[in-house]
Amino acid sequence: MIEPVALEDFFITFFSSALIILAGAGYALLFSWSKVNPSIRIKIAAYVSYAVLVLAVAVLTRAAHFQGYWLIISVLMAVGYFFAPIGIWHLCVKTHAGSNLKNNNNNNNNNRG
Amino acid sequence: MNTSGLNEAAQKAAALCEKSRACVNDFKAWVQLDSRNLSDGQQLAVKYFIVAVILFFAQILFGLLAATQFIFPGFLYEILDFSVNRMIHINAMIVWMLYGFIGCVYWFLEEESGTEIVGLKLGNIAFWVLTAAVTLVVLVYLLVQIGPGKDSSLWFINEGREYIEAPRWADIGIVVVMLIFFYNVVATFSKGKWSGIAGVLTLDLVALAGLYTAGMFYMTNITHEQYWWWWVIHLWVEATWEVLVGVIMAWSLMKLLGVRRKIVQTWLYIEVALMFGSGILGLGHHYFWIGTPEYWLTIGGFFSALEPIPLVAMVVHAVYDSGSHALKSGNHPALAWIIAQAFGNFFGAGVWGFMHTLPQINLYTHGTQWSASHGHLAFFGAYATINIAFFYLAIQHWRGDVWMGGGSQNAWRWKWALGLLNGGVLGMTIALLIAGYEQSFIERAVEGSTWGGYFTAQNHPSFQSAMIWRLFFGGMTFAGFILLVWDLLTIGKGETRKAPEIIES
Repeated sequence: MIEPVALEDFFITFFSSALIILAGAGYALLFSWSKVNPSIRIKIAAYVSYAVLVLAVAVLTRAAHFQGYWLIISVLMAVGYFFAPIGIWHLCVKTHAGSNLKNNNNNNNNNRG
Repeated sequence: MNTSGLNEAAQKAAALCEKSRACVNDFKAWVQLDSRNLSDGQQLAVKYFIVAVILFFAQILFGLLAATQFIFPGFLYEILDFSVNRMIHINAMIVWMLYGFIGCVYWFLEEESGTEIVGLKLGNIAFWVLTAAVTLVVLVYLLVQIGPGKDSSLWFINEGREYIEAPRWADIGIVVVMLIFFYNVVATFSKGKWSGIAGVLTLDLVALAGLYTAGMFYMTNITHEQYWWWWVIHLWVEATWEVLVGVIMAWSLMKLLGVRRKIVQTWLYIEVALMFGSGILGLGHHYFWIGTPEYWLTIGGFFSALEPIPLVAMVVHAVYDSGSHALKSGNHPALAWIIAQAFGNFFGAGVWGFMHTLPQINLYTHGTQWSASHGHLAFFGAYATINIAFFYLAIQHWRGDVWMGGGSQNAWRWKWALGLLNGGVLGMTIALLIAGYEQSFIERAVEGSTWGGYFTAQNHPSFQSAMIWRLFFGGMTFAGFILLVWDLLTIGKGETRKAPEIIES
C-alpha cells in the first residue's frame, strides 16, 4: 500500500524528484568530461553532483513515504545512477575502439609520411 | 440555370484555375527549389513533409484558440467550442509528427537499401488517400461539433476516445496506410540490402501498425477499456515512436557528422533495449487510477524510475563524442535542432516526467495541467525537434547540397526561429507547470477532487495568470513557426558553395 505525500511535502517531492534526474545527468556529464579532460576538479565536481543526488534520493524517500520494498527504488537510484555512467563510458570506449584505432593508424601513417 | 449562365460559370472557374496555376508557378520561381536533385522516394518524402508543416500550423492555430478560451471562456462559444479546438490541436500534433516520420523514412529508404522503392505508386496513392482522409476528418470535426452518440456517429463522426477521436472508418484507413508503408519498407529492403537500421525499423513498423488496433475495439468495462486505450497512447507514442526517432537519428548522425555505421547501429540496439526495457512496463504509471490491481502501482513506480536511464546514456555518449570527434557540419540548423532534441527529450521526458510519475504524488497530479506541461515539452523536445532537423537536411539536398554551415546568408532566421520556438514551448511548459502545481494542490490535495475544488483552483489568481502567460508564449511559438517556414523556403537560396561530402569517420 502506498501513502500519498503530505501537503507540506508537496513542493519538496517535486523538487527532489527533478533534482535526482538533474544531479544524475550532472554527475554523468562531469564524470564523462573528467575522462575526456582528466582533471581532479572536474572529478570532484562529479562526486559533489552525485552527493546531491544521494541527498535528493534521501529527501524523496522521506517525503514520498517509501517503506518496505519501495526502499528498493531508493537503493536502485543511488546505486544505479553511480554505476550507469561508468558502464556506459566503457560501452562508448569499446564500441568506438575500431574507429579510434583507425584514427590512430591514420595519424601514425601521417606522422611517418 | 440557362446555357449562358453555365458558360459564364465555366469561364470563371477556368480563369480561377489559370490564376491559381500562375500563383503556383510564381511561388516555384521564387523558392528556386530544383526537384531534379531529388530521387523518386525523396519526392514522395517531400509531400509528407509539406503536409506535416501545414498540420504543424493547424496544431499551433487551434492551440492558440483553445488557450484564448481559457482566458475568455465566451470566445467563439457555440461556434468553435473549446473541446473541438483542443481535440484538433492534439490530433494535428499526432498526425503531423506521423507524417514527418513517414517522410523521413521514405527520404532515406532508397539510399539505405541501395535500390528504388518497390511500391512507389502505392506509396503515392496511400499519401493522397491519407491526406484526403485527414482533411475530411478535420472538416467533420468542425462541421459536426455536437450530436448524439450513436453507432453511426462512432463510425462516421467521432469515436469519442480522447486523443484518438478519429471515426472508425479513418482508423481502419490509418492502419491500411501503415500496412502499405510497412510493405514498401520491407519489400524495398528485401529487394536491396538489409542493415541494422533496416531491421530495427521493420520490427518497429510491425508494432506501429499493430498497436494502433488496440484502440479500435470497445469493452463494456471502463477499466478494461482504458487498459487497452493506454496501449495506443503510451506504447504507440512512448515506445514505437521513440524507436522510430532512434532510427531517424541514427541515419541523420551518419549523414550529418559522418559517424561510423557500426557505432550508430550498436548504439541503436543499446538504446532500443534500454527504451523497451524501461518503457514497456513504464506503461504502469498510466494504470495507477483506472481500477487495475494494486501491483501496477509498484510496477509503474519502479519502471518510471528506470525510464531516465537511456537519457543518462545519451549524456555520457554526447560528451564522449564531443571529446573524441570535433562536431563539424555543413548544416548548422539541422545540427542545432538535433542538439535541441537531446535537451528537449532530457528535460521534457526525463525531468518533467519523473517529477510527477511516482504514485505517491501522481495521485494529485494525474490529468492536471501538470500533465499538459510535461506533454508540451516532451512532445516538442522528443519529436518535433527531430522532424525539424530532418526538414533542414531535406531542404539542403533539395537545393543541391549547398553549404548551410558557418557564414551562411541570413543565418539569423534559423537562429531566431530556433530561439522563438524553443523559448515559446519552454515558456508554455513553465506556465502550465505553475498552473498544474496550483491545481493539484488546491483542487486535488486540499479540496479532494470535488467540483468546488475544481472551480476554486480554476479561479485562483496564480492559475489565471499562468494561463495568460501560456497564451503569450503560445504567440511566441507561433512567431517562431512563421520564421521557421520563411527560413525553410529561403535558406540556401543563391548559395553557390557546396557542402563538403560527409564520409564515415
